[in-house]
Amino acid sequence: MVDSSQVPVSGSSGGEAGSETGETERVWRAGGLDPMPIRKLPDAPPAIHLLGPTVFLVALGVGMGESYMWPRLVLVFGPEIRWLFLVGVTLQAVVMLEMARYAMATGESIFAGAARVFKPMMWFFFAVAILVYIWPGHLSAGAAAFEEITGIPWLVTACIGLVLVGIVFSLAKVIYNLLENVLSILIGVLVVGTAIIASLVGSWADLSSTLTGMFAFGYFPTEAMSSTWFPIIVGSVAFAGPSGMQQMWYTLHLRDSQAGMGAHIPRVRGLRHAGEEESMPSRGFMFDTDDADEMRKWKGWRRWVTFDALLLFWGITMLVTVSFTVLAQSAARENPNVKTLIEGGDRDAALGAMSDAFASVGGPVLGGLFFGFIALIGLNATLGLFDSFSRGQADMTYFFVKGARRFKMSHLYAGFLWGVIIFGILILLFGPADGPAGVLDILAFLSTFAMGAYCIVLLLVNNRMLPKPIRPKWWTNAIIGFGAVFYLGMLFYSLVRFGVVVS
Amino acid sequence: MDTTRLLRLAELALPGFVVGLIAGAVAGGLAGLVGQPAGWALVSMLTLGIPLAIFGAGYGILLVYRKVRIGAFAPVALFWLAGFPIARLVHEVLARLVLTGEAGLPPDPIGFLAYQAIVSAGFAIGFLWLHERIAPRWWYRITDRNPAAKDIYEAYVEHATQLYRAKEARRQARKGDQTARSKATQR
Repeated sequence: MVDSSQVPVSGSSGGEAGSETGETERVWRAGGLDPMPIRKLPDAPPAIHLLGPTVFLVALGVGMGESYMWPRLVLVFGPEIRWLFLVGVTLQAVVMLEMARYAMATGESIFAGAARVFKPMMWFFFAVAILVYIWPGHLSAGAAAFEEITGIPWLVTACIGLVLVGIVFSLAKVIYNLLENVLSILIGVLVVGTAIIASLVGSWADLSSTLTGMFAFGYFPTEAMSSTWFPIIVGSVAFAGPSGMQQMWYTLHLRDSQAGMGAHIPRVRGLRHAGEEESMPSRGFMFDTDDADEMRKWKGWRRWVTFDALLLFWGITMLVTVSFTVLAQSAARENPNVKTLIEGGDRDAALGAMSDAFASVGGPVLGGLFFGFIALIGLNATLGLFDSFSRGQADMTYFFVKGARRFKMSHLYAGFLWGVIIFGILILLFGPADGPAGVLDILAFLSTFAMGAYCIVLLLVNNRMLPKPIRPKWWTNAIIGFGAVFYLGMLFYSLVRFGVVVS
Repeated sequence: MDTTRLLRLAELALPGFVVGLIAGAVAGGLAGLVGQPAGWALVSMLTLGIPLAIFGAGYGILLVYRKVRIGAFAPVALFWLAGFPIARLVHEVLARLVLTGEAGLPPDPIGFLAYQAIVSAGFAIGFLWLHERIAPRWWYRITDRNPAAKDIYEAYVEHATQLYRAKEARRQARKGDQTARSKATQR
């Protein structure tokens, strides 16, 4: 089944990929799906650059965990608790590199990789994505912050926001550039503004305690081992950086940004431009890992993605949480009430109190600016989530549902996008935004379980479906293995010991 | 240096100056608003905005004369590692002097500078991000009358062309694949 004992199998020694000699094409056989034809690996980008599509994605990944959950834990347990954040984010950086390994080597998503190993695994992720991500609850924080600034009811903003997201992604090719420019400027202002506010209201003592706290390995106060806090801590570690299935979706973004062998796969277009889409191949491709020149290019791609993972992903995630933790600490100093509210766990009240604390040192506009940032983070996260969900489901449907290939990938993408938007609006108007209360625990469980599960998928896919020369090193496998034990172990421990899943 | 040259230099440095000024003025101004008179807010705005703007302009000039690499992060981070703490120190000292009439450093000046130096990394990312989006467009507008602007703009175009070519080459390779495959299927 898996031909992993040698470098790409040759159907015929002379048959170069796609040549017109009529000889059999060289292929790499992996798992139960169609073999991957051998193609040339494109050159890695000429220079390492800060400004690229991944930065845009990184900005989308910064969410509530960074701006709210971790500052809250720091106020409750002290800065030493942040060593868990360091572990969580570092683990995610390695996961990101390993997701990229498969996606860049084959041009396939990690879902296709899972299907190559064992198809039901892929269907598991398909089902989890629908169960976990169709609820529009994530819109509420951003929209509520927007209500604080403008007075427009959050429900109105959320519904209009949903429709706008749909229109923007459907028109994609026409206004995507405009959207990217506008969002880029906003993200730039967010970063500059956060830095300046942190520089004005924070202090060396706050920062150094936040930073040194990251290295207090093993610190775990007894109060944290309670049924109230343990599940929250597990949730916060799991949600440090990209959470749930976001890392899996990252493989689709990598493919669409034409990284590595993704260059051989056409890009997904907005509904309006679906007609221009080139035909989608039924499987990915592999490069010749026997060829020294190809391996040199592969190393170039690995350097490119490592830079992204370390500096951009790890760095920016750290920067934002450190800034927000410093902000929360100084807000708590200004106004002791903030600490009580944050500890109490009412997110909206806590954010409101933090804004008030900033208003007291920096005027009402500074308080408003804080809400502006929260609204911006919410908007970014929503845009990213809807796009990624639709990409992932469209990808799995297109490749693995019988008859789905009558449609173009872009049509399926639009179908899932509008489906989740319409469902979202209906739920916002008539139902519980986070999902029915009875299943909330199940959703939280599934989301964390998916993270443990994708670590196992990564181990199987990268070690069995890729040619030997480009498989991960033993220590990378050890870290990913640790990830699986970490996520699943904490999840089940919480369930067995306290009878509560993560929150 | 004659006036024309000075003006041209100022023109080149404008985007960096504006990004620095906006960053400093908006956030610094807000911090100064605390229900205080407009004069107070204005002082806070100018004392932070102007130093940041001057450093921003300096970075623009370094870029135009190719002393730093286009779009690279390390040089801009190093630049602000020095620039940002100085700008914040100037802000603290001047704002205090103007508003209270007392000259003096912030308490624990070393800790203050160290803290600002670390925050500067965040500021540098945002600054580079905004500058890269605004500056090339501005330089393009003034290419007719400013030869240095033309040079730097062309460097950006050259860079973009390189990236575009690499992308095009990949697209062509993919098209080639498809043609070959369809021929193979017809066989």
